[in-house]
Amino acid sequence: MKKLIKLISLVAIISAFGTNILAQNMNEDFRKTAPAPLAPVPFNIPKPFETTLPNGLKVVIFEDKRLPLVSYRLAFPTGDINDPKDNIGLTSAVTAMLNEGTKTRSSKQFSDEVERLGANVSASSTSDNTIIAASALSLYGSDVLKLMTDMVLNPTFPESELKLYKQNTIEGLKFQRSQPGFLADEQTARILYGSNPYSVTSPTATDIEKLTPEKLSAFHKKMFVPGNATLIVVGNVNRDNLLKEVKESFGNWQKGTVAAMKFSAPPVRQATTLTIVDRPGSAQSNIVLANIAIDRASPDYFPVLVMNQVLGAGASARLFMNLREEKGYTYGAYSSFDTRRQAGSFEATAEVRTTVTGDSLKEFFYELNRIRDEKVPEQELKDAKNFLTGVFPLRAETQEGLTNLITSQQLYNLPADYLQTYRDKISAVTPDEVARVAKKYITPDKTAIVIVGDAEEVLPQVKTYAKQIEIFNTEGAKQDIANYGKAKSGEAVNVGGKWDLTIEAQGQKLPVSLELMQDGNKVTGSLNSMLGKGEITSAKVSGNKLSGTASSEMQGQKVELTINGTVEGDTMKGTINTGIPGFPPLPFEGKRAAGTVSNNETTKPSTTAKNIAGNWKVETFAGGQAVTVNVKFEQSGDKLSGTLSSDVGDGSVSEGKISGDNVDATLLLSFQGQPLTVILKGKLESDTKMSGTLTPEGLGLGDLSFTGTKEK
Amino acid sequence: MNNRFIYSAAMVMILLIFGINTFAQKTNNKNMDKMSGNFQLPPLKIEQYTLDNGLRVVLNQDKSVPVVAVAVYYDVGSRNERQGRTGFAHLFEHMMFQGSENVKKAEHFQYISKAGGTMNGTTSTERTNYFEAVPANQLPLTLWLESDRMRSLAVTEENLTNQRNAVQEEKRLNYDNQPYGEVFNTLNEMVYKNFSNSHSTIGSMKDLDDATVEDIKEFFRIYYAPNNAVLSISGAFDEKEVKQLVEKYFGTIKNQPKPEAINVSEPKEVAETYKKYEDKLAPFPAFLMGWKIPARGTDEYNALALAGKLLFEGDSSRLYQKLVKGDESVVQLFGINDERRGPSGIAIGAIPKPGQDLSKIRAAIMNEIKDLSQNGPTAEEMMKVKNQLINDAVRSRQSSMSRAQQIAEFALYDGDPTLINSELDKLLKITPEQIKNAVNTFLNTENRALLDVVPAGQK
Repeated sequence: MKKLIKLISLVAIISAFGTNILAQNMNEDFRKTAPAPLAPVPFNIPKPFETTLPNGLKVVIFEDKRLPLVSYRLAFPTGDINDPKDNIGLTSAVTAMLNEGTKTRSSKQFSDEVERLGANVSASSTSDNTIIAASALSLYGSDVLKLMTDMVLNPTFPESELKLYKQNTIEGLKFQRSQPGFLADEQTARILYGSNPYSVTSPTATDIEKLTPEKLSAFHKKMFVPGNATLIVVGNVNRDNLLKEVKESFGNWQKGTVAAMKFSAPPVRQATTLTIVDRPGSAQSNIVLANIAIDRASPDYFPVLVMNQVLGAGASARLFMNLREEKGYTYGAYSSFDTRRQAGSFEATAEVRTTVTGDSLKEFFYELNRIRDEKVPEQELKDAKNFLTGVFPLRAETQEGLTNLITSQQLYNLPADYLQTYRDKISAVTPDEVARVAKKYITPDKTAIVIVGDAEEVLPQVKTYAKQIEIFNTEGAKQDIANYGKAKSGEAVNVGGKWDLTIEAQGQKLPVSLELMQDGNKVTGSLNSMLGKGEITSAKVSGNKLSGTASSEMQGQKVELTINGTVEGDTMKGTINTGIPGFPPLPFEGKRAAGTVSNNETTKPSTTAKNIAGNWKVETFAGGQAVTVNVKFEQSGDKLSGTLSSDVGDGSVSEGKISGDNVDATLLLSFQGQPLTVILKGKLESDTKMSGTLTPEGLGLGDLSFTGTKEK
Repeated sequence: MNNRFIYSAAMVMILLIFGINTFAQKTNNKNMDKMSGNFQLPPLKIEQYTLDNGLRVVLNQDKSVPVVAVAVYYDVGSRNERQGRTGFAHLFEHMMFQGSENVKKAEHFQYISKAGGTMNGTTSTERTNYFEAVPANQLPLTLWLESDRMRSLAVTEENLTNQRNAVQEEKRLNYDNQPYGEVFNTLNEMVYKNFSNSHSTIGSMKDLDDATVEDIKEFFRIYYAPNNAVLSISGAFDEKEVKQLVEKYFGTIKNQPKPEAINVSEPKEVAETYKKYEDKLAPFPAFLMGWKIPARGTDEYNALALAGKLLFEGDSSRLYQKLVKGDESVVQLFGINDERRGPSGIAIGAIPKPGQDLSKIRAAIMNEIKDLSQNGPTAEEMMKVKNQLINDAVRSRQSSMSRAQQIAEFALYDGDPTLINSELDKLLKITPEQIKNAVNTFLNTENRALLDVVPAGQK
């Protein structure tokens, strides 16, 4: 063996570059720096063939002979935003149900036929688009095209399959509420888009309940028409043969078009707002900073792409380098532009440890301001452009990738040479353009901050970032901000006694009882349910929040249950988490059994009403603007009345009442010449401060949080 | 509404838990089989040669898209580790991103990322691989990066400590602190007798703690030599230019004595047939069954790989239809082929629904295996499997990265990268009879390992 090795190295010396071997070894300076790239290789994507059938169906064919494969997309430029207002979720239901039964195939027959071909067929909708996708060996191209035609033209939406879809979807809707990412998206969209349909991220269970086969059929008939569709075929096909097949398949598709819908523009933002979704006990905070930016057709698309590459598009960008590499706050921090057909938004996001939520916001704002205020250094800009031009061919390498590129060019009506000129357009972006779009489309002084996390922990860290702050629970219900931030200063409420709770699990209500004993802020006790008994050894109360764990036996298995509850007098609401992977926390609510409070200090009704008579300055934020209302309360016993004046109109206080710290009143005023009723629900923080919500009726503004200050 | 249904993986879990059943109907038996003749894939253009220092180079030119992928496969995996030295191959994979003479720590990733490329490295029982896909004109960059670490890796105390901690953290996160995290490693210890085969790739905490800089330097010298590696390049390049570049960057790296040959042979019998494993984190009981089967590339292995597809791959597989859909007794069913150069394995496992009789589920699995061993696959099943094989083979050739990796694997394991051009044909020729016989010999037997996972609960 040794001999052989010597022989090999001898050969090496003899043959490697002949006589120059010594110099080679010594002079390897070329290794010291990264080599320059070779000459750029042009990437010539030919333009596809396009034609339109007499019924209006546009057909786009791209012959890709590399491998015996074919990919189809039937693409509709209508999506979830085209849902009727009273039945959100209809588009995605129709789309998902297309292959769950046709005039000639049951759901199972359909999927068996697809699997037997080794093919893939799927359908999905986004807010802007609906796409039916299929791919197969080109040998089975015709078979798959027939299956695809069948699901698009002949779906029957069988009752039994729809029932299953509704069950699963409703379970999914519940589950997504346990996902912080969903909660952040839900609030961000609501805040950014106002009355624009992009504000809706998900149907409700009620929407899903409303679905019937008839509704699906009618909507299918209306939207799935050839005048609204483009068929894109990429693959090893013969154009003439394919066109013949397409005409046979789709030629009889009955004519029809869908009128383009126009929606109201997103509201113009005036100031920075802060929205917290409270997830008690959350170890991380999901942070989103967002503002409205560009739509897909914007001429600023390419400068924005390059600018965002510098700021936060990947793991070499500024946000990642700062928040992860330098500060170690998170696994990743990114920014993105969501460019849709009618509008779009900018978002910077990270999931950070709860304790550094405030510090992370500081770094986000630093980076958002830096890219606006300082010119991007030349090398950094070059790197960003290199990345974007470099990654483009990688995206087009597989047939699926290429098909997706062609499909979005078609759906968004991008120029015919879009794919051919993409890399040139990136290269042409100038430093000035980057500076201009950064200033225009990143607006940290009017940003919407959304944080999903433990509000008790997060609020004190971030409350200085915005004047207008609102807090929601994970169910999307607005919370009284006065209840937060007490943990540090506020005294623990008394939770002692017997509680009868109801847990919602898998659509069933399960009774659970808790027996709690309290010593200071320490709580012990037991938990009883039909599934078993558990012992609570180390729970605690901070403010009005109860948190702790109970070791329980469920069906012979030891399970650790985590309980998080919020106590209001004799009622408690919260969640129980089973820790079983895939199971969302189970919501519960319940009441304290009468006469079981060991120390009812916190629930004792006030014997004499506090006096709040006088002039109050009530400040809120409505329609993107700060609004101040001056209220003059008059009080008699616990009854309130009075007058009010504001920039928008004057009026009076009616049906007012004060009980304990709670102030309830109806404000009647004239708003732009129309009578307007506003329900005020406030809570006194001190004799001169209150906060709560104002609900203007009939304006669709929901609850507006307000703060009130008594003038001296 | 882009995010409306992104939680589908979790949805699947929920679906399984709720045991929702779609109505079963007879499939229509129309013959759609168009593969009366043999399906022929256009062969890939492959050229291989060896540098004077022993580095095996494989080139696959494909100019359809201006992209190039580079894969370096080192012939070292956990199979090469001795007792007291477990986890070294994987620890080393981490070290390879810690910088070399001309590339600073963590710069590798930044260079590739800024060029618009993607990269990674992985370790298995069989090999350690590193790969990049970049725009075609950035080929020199990848060769520079790969050659710099092959010739001058920075093996320092600081880097070692740092990466040892990272690996131990990875072990805690992915194995120790995960429900069912250790079960596959435990099953391997039951199936294989030979230490080379039976120990885990992640290794033991103690061995990782004991690793010294000297050990790691020695490991590098022996296994990261050019004569112990394959360099595979696939994509759009000029043949003359690529050879010059490879010679320039890799030609002067010194070769080393060939590593000691290892023995991975196994007796026919599994090492242990039953074990009860207490898992502190597992919420439900579960079980895993493992069989020892012949080496990859043999007809028997291939027949069993197809049998695996029929038994547990996809919603139409036999066990999924029987246990998840039919009996609704199982939350999750899974199976894997443990493909190795030496004796290999197949494992099937299930997480039953609470209250289910585990032995009944195991009996149901053994019944399907028995049926397959007596009656063989149906014509319908054979057609499905063949179409899936062709589809997989064709799709896996689309990206340069996937081509570079497959070619490197054939070159390293079999000494013949052109096998990529005949592999599909070999699989398509497997007959129902061969599947039936292989299942009968290797799966329909008491010679198997059964691991019972019992939730230990929190104390």
